[in-house]
Amino acid sequence: MTQILIQGLLLSGLYALIAIGFTMIFSVGRVLNLAYGAYLMLGGYTYFWVAQTMHMPKPIGIAAAIGIGALAGVAMHRLIVRPLHSDPVAVEISTLILAVIIQAGIVLVFNDAPKVLHPIVDGVWRVGGATVTFNILTATVASWVILFALYHFVRKTHVGRAISAVSMDIKGAALSGVNPDRINMITWAISGALGAIAGVFFASYTQLSPSMWVSPLIIAVAVVIVGGIGSIIGTLIVAHIIGFMEIISTTLIAAELRGVFTMLLIIVVLVLLPRGLFGRGEL
Amino acid sequence: MTSTINWRHLLLWAVFLGGLALMPQFVTRGTLRTFIFANYLAIFAMSWDVLSGRTGYVSFGHPFLIGIGAYTSAILSYRFHVPVGWSIPIAVATTMIGGTLFFLPALRIRGSYFALVTLAFMELMYQLVQVIRPDLTGGTRGISGVQTLLRGAVNNYYLSLGLMGVIAILLWSMMRTRLGTALSAIGMNEEAVEGSGLNTTKLKLFAFMVGAAVAGIGGAFYVHYLGSIAPRALFDVNFLFTIIVAALLGGASTIIGPMLGAFFLTFLLEYLRPLLPGAERYFIYGLIALLLYMYEPRGLYELFHRGRARIFGGRA
Repeated sequence: MTQILIQGLLLSGLYALIAIGFTMIFSVGRVLNLAYGAYLMLGGYTYFWVAQTMHMPKPIGIAAAIGIGALAGVAMHRLIVRPLHSDPVAVEISTLILAVIIQAGIVLVFNDAPKVLHPIVDGVWRVGGATVTFNILTATVASWVILFALYHFVRKTHVGRAISAVSMDIKGAALSGVNPDRINMITWAISGALGAIAGVFFASYTQLSPSMWVSPLIIAVAVVIVGGIGSIIGTLIVAHIIGFMEIISTTLIAAELRGVFTMLLIIVVLVLLPRGLFGRGEL
Repeated sequence: MTSTINWRHLLLWAVFLGGLALMPQFVTRGTLRTFIFANYLAIFAMSWDVLSGRTGYVSFGHPFLIGIGAYTSAILSYRFHVPVGWSIPIAVATTMIGGTLFFLPALRIRGSYFALVTLAFMELMYQLVQVIRPDLTGGTRGISGVQTLLRGAVNNYYLSLGLMGVIAILLWSMMRTRLGTALSAIGMNEEAVEGSGLNTTKLKLFAFMVGAAVAGIGGAFYVHYLGSIAPRALFDVNFLFTIIVAALLGGASTIIGPMLGAFFLTFLLEYLRPLLPGAERYFIYGLIALLLYMYEPRGLYELFHRGRARIFGGRA
């Protein structure tokens, strides 16, 4: 029981971090970024290259991952989303193609054998019969800190408020002197950076492989659908629902059923409550 | 949009299919295998196009439907020794039932949400196939040694070409009726179609059923051509990518477009093989697909039309 509780909390924290960058783009840019999983992959591989191939200190690796992620986000906005005028279907399809290109690029540079990241923080902590690695604990704590910081950034700073204004109403925001295009670009950069840092933790939790982008994308999609778009708190809650559901189904029923309930939840919620549990009326 | 079918159309079809039918005289067995794959990909792309290209309900789970068709037929013939003459029709019927499952969310949601739920369908299927009754589905490794219908590249080529030709002509004639116009109109503005007194629910259901049936036929015949099936080869984003890109590159909402796209993609991949042996191929191939799509979202068909107009004048 304690084990389920602890494992569930840890996994959910990670899932919230994975989902938040995806939600932001969906809420502010009103497009689905199917290449979001590729940010995680880019982040994970960048960290791997800097910290494990070049043997530089780990913080530099994380910083490099964040930088690459933000850069990828800006590049995607400038080169794909803007030329397509944010047409949702065209962006979905182009980002799907882009994800396949990035996957091929990763195979090209790093070959397609899976790679194992050394734990970012060593050591284990035994509590109530459960073993918790400091690595995953760090990931969860970091994810909470990042989400908390993001929440305050969106609420308190000028840019953050502009972001939430654009997510509510583009024309209204433009009339109040906000440049939606610039805000969109900033959001893409933040989303890329969040994806990349999530990727470092996700990769250290599982492993690095060129096809690792699919499952975090599915998690992000599940959180967005079940939670409805736009709210950081909603994302956090739904990430816990999904995280706990996975842990409970893997420990109590069968390990192979890990993703099945998540998929079923997506389908049921979409059919019964198309706006999500905490949704807003954008359809 | 609706226009009568005249002798010129029939002549063009005859030239196109007749030209393809002569291929075995000119090309090697290996190239013929590529042609067979292109034919099947064309069937999948056409079926995606009926469902998504026309009505605008973009499906990211098309391999789900193809997979149902392929798995049903493979399981029936391999595990229960049902003759192929029965297993394929049953597989197509099952796929159409699967198509209704797709249809249920489409009643309430559209746009990005529909794309997402179909993606979820595909992943669900991928995981279920490995977990539920692995004794039937073969689990992660899949099934190999499924009965093949015909032997030899030439025979299989004619089978796939015949299938593609019949499906293409049937869909093409269907799309030239008022029904096809109504389906394309749903893609443009669903409210307007509903306002014109048409029952969009029935129209969508019909389109989904036709799309699913074609996917089922394609999937079932494809598995009996390959002789094997595995979940990761089927319920895979790369496979989905190839289907969607084939349909879009060729030109969605046309019949010839998805076929064109399928041949273009298959041969692009094939001709890149000697130049770039490894993953570079997919890199270049994806890049070409992305650039073409960004430059002309309506696809090669549109480019040809424009090129023709520029040379001979006429429609701009």
